[in-house]
Amino acid sequence: MNAENVEKKVGSGFYLNHTLLTTISLLMALPFLWMLLTSLKPLSEVGGSHWWPKDFKLENYKEVFSIENLRYGRWYFNSLFVSFCVTFLQVLTSALAAFAFSRLEWKWRDGLFLLYLGTMMVPGLILMIPNFQIMIKLGLMDTYLGLIIPAAFSAFGTFLLRQFMMGIPKSLDEAAEIDGASTWQVFWQVILPLSRPGLITLTIFTFMGNYNSFFWPIVMLKSADKYTLPVGLLFFESSQGQQTNLLMAAITMAVIPMVILFVLMQKHLVKGIQLGGVKG
Amino acid sequence: MNKKRNRINTLKGLLFLSPNIIGFSIFTLFPLGFSLIMAFSNWNLSQHNMFTDEPLKWVLLQNFKDLLGSEDFWRYLGNTLFFMIGIPISMAGSLGAALLLNQDLKSPSKRARSKGILYVLPLIAFSSLLFLGFGMSIMVLIVTGIFGVIYIGGVSGGSTVYRTIFYTPNFTAGVATFILWKKIYNPQTGPLTTITQPILEGVNAVVLFLGKDTIYIFMYVVVVLAIGSLYWGLNTFLKWRSEKDLGYIGLIIGVSALILPSFFVLHWFSHPIASQIMQISVIATIVYFVSQFIAKSSDCICHPEKGMGNAIMLGLGIMALQFLLIGLSNVLYKLPEMSLVGISSPSWLTDYHWAKPSLMFMGFWAAIGSNSMLLYLAALSNVSPELSEAADIDGATKFQKFWNVTWPQLAPVTFFIFIMAVINGMQGGFEVAKTMTGGGPAGSTTTLEYFIYEEGFASGRLAFASAISWILFAMIFALTLFNWRFGNRYVND
Repeated sequence: MNAENVEKKVGSGFYLNHTLLTTISLLMALPFLWMLLTSLKPLSEVGGSHWWPKDFKLENYKEVFSIENLRYGRWYFNSLFVSFCVTFLQVLTSALAAFAFSRLEWKWRDGLFLLYLGTMMVPGLILMIPNFQIMIKLGLMDTYLGLIIPAAFSAFGTFLLRQFMMGIPKSLDEAAEIDGASTWQVFWQVILPLSRPGLITLTIFTFMGNYNSFFWPIVMLKSADKYTLPVGLLFFESSQGQQTNLLMAAITMAVIPMVILFVLMQKHLVKGIQLGGVKG
Repeated sequence: MNKKRNRINTLKGLLFLSPNIIGFSIFTLFPLGFSLIMAFSNWNLSQHNMFTDEPLKWVLLQNFKDLLGSEDFWRYLGNTLFFMIGIPISMAGSLGAALLLNQDLKSPSKRARSKGILYVLPLIAFSSLLFLGFGMSIMVLIVTGIFGVIYIGGVSGGSTVYRTIFYTPNFTAGVATFILWKKIYNPQTGPLTTITQPILEGVNAVVLFLGKDTIYIFMYVVVVLAIGSLYWGLNTFLKWRSEKDLGYIGLIIGVSALILPSFFVLHWFSHPIASQIMQISVIATIVYFVSQFIAKSSDCICHPEKGMGNAIMLGLGIMALQFLLIGLSNVLYKLPEMSLVGISSPSWLTDYHWAKPSLMFMGFWAAIGSNSMLLYLAALSNVSPELSEAADIDGATKFQKFWNVTWPQLAPVTFFIFIMAVINGMQGGFEVAKTMTGGGPAGSTTTLEYFIYEEGFASGRLAFASAISWILFAMIFALTLFNWRFGNRYVND
């Protein structure tokens, strides 16, 4: 009788919870739904109170790439290219530094690490103005390099990977050293493969952060050829924003890579956020 | 031998670190010092560029004096803080979502799963037929269909499906979704106006039907509720204090948060009588409680930091509630007048009074399924089941169980999330302002971050912008210290 009671209790709450959660999900998804449906409308139907297009115009998605004065395809490439470069470089430099901070014993290690930690509190805004001047002096204004280089070094990435590498048992590299492995081999063949989950988390964080980054690109970029997606979309909105259907198609295409990345990688991402947060 | 080994090790360490530390020095350390030094100069792009390179002058503290003396700075700081009223609300949303997701959503058996699907299928089919039969738009059908798809996905897939949907607005938040919302808020072509217009017309009809006096009665009720929440909050503090659960630091912070909205009343509240009632009772309440606290101050000999986290949470929660109630009563006061002309949908982002709430609403959409929700989920899975079972045996209700068992265990995470949200909030708002409002109308959505951008990169007053960013850093640093000092203590409470 007791067991029956428990089952019944699970039953009714179960459906109620699902109904509630589904309703919230639906509300959260409504803006995206409007975006998707508007992107399929012809221009004449934009602004009508009906959401569902009377005429479907899939060609909007093709048209986005050939609007006059806008170079959507190029922006897409720029965004992906810059994000890939930054992610690759940042993960590499962070992994190297994290190895030095976690696995090697040396003189100034703890002092330097403290310095890294200290700068993590500094708002990025403080650094922007001097960095902007450095970029002007280096002649890197309005170039890919100007976007990539300052973002390739990260105290946060170093910190994240260092925390991760600290969790790998010390006996593993000692065993490798006894087998005659050099320090580089320990790094490359022992520690890096074992830090894979941490590397994946940092990769997602960095990639997303860069794909979405806006402040630095809008300060740095002057010519429409070099725009990344966020800067380009803003330019699109301010110059030809009345073409809402095309704008929505452009936004949909800009959002899709993020959604796919999230759905594929959410296990790692969720774990990374929860680890980082709970441990503080 | 040993010395040589040490030297080799140091060399190795530096070698591994070198790619990172070179970049770190050039793009972090050097700019940091440079910006600090420049904040004391008159560095300005209009005087120091490739055409007119006047020598830099050291103006020492002049930038900081100008800044603290300028009305703009305080206004934009106020805007930045105003946007933070949304933080407790978003946190409550995240916690609610996490609590829902933490329920046992995986169906106990295959049978229950198929039963769940079977039970919703006819519902969808029936409602679709109904809508079609009544000639409703195809949109309703689609929405019902999507509801069914999510539901079936959720019943068979468990919480992951919902978590993905909740998290997507946060994950994709950026210029793209801000432009999307700008279009949604567009008063002529956006969907929001078409949705709110019939609702507002309904409100209009109700207001006209009820008449001015009835509406004013509602307004007084809301005013009483606002005062009541202040009273209740202060009373709770008093109770905690007499139970020796609250040290003076928590008391001071909590009570200041509670009283803060009352100061805005003078500023915002336009109904003369209600405003006076409010002021008099607020002052009376505060005087009464302050005297109580002083009278009982010798009773409480507990640690000054005791119960601080709870006090802050309660204080801020009630503060947000009071702001909402005061806003609501203000709306109620203006309703009868407005309904005579006919209430129409505001022009959201271009309306001085609506721009901030509109942005906060969008922020709420993006913040429910944020990292806070994930952190709450992780914390909820760590809540010890023994305590919860013990509470079950004692016959606690669901709410009692949450308040007495779950909530105290979530306290450290809540504190962490709150501090992080405040730190992020202090240095946020640029992207939204730049893409959606341009900081306007009339500077109502300009935050400190946007102010720095305007001064530094649009006007070229680099030294002045540096000075603002250092003031901002000082505030963030204070918060971080606060977190270090009290975050851990609170965990042990």
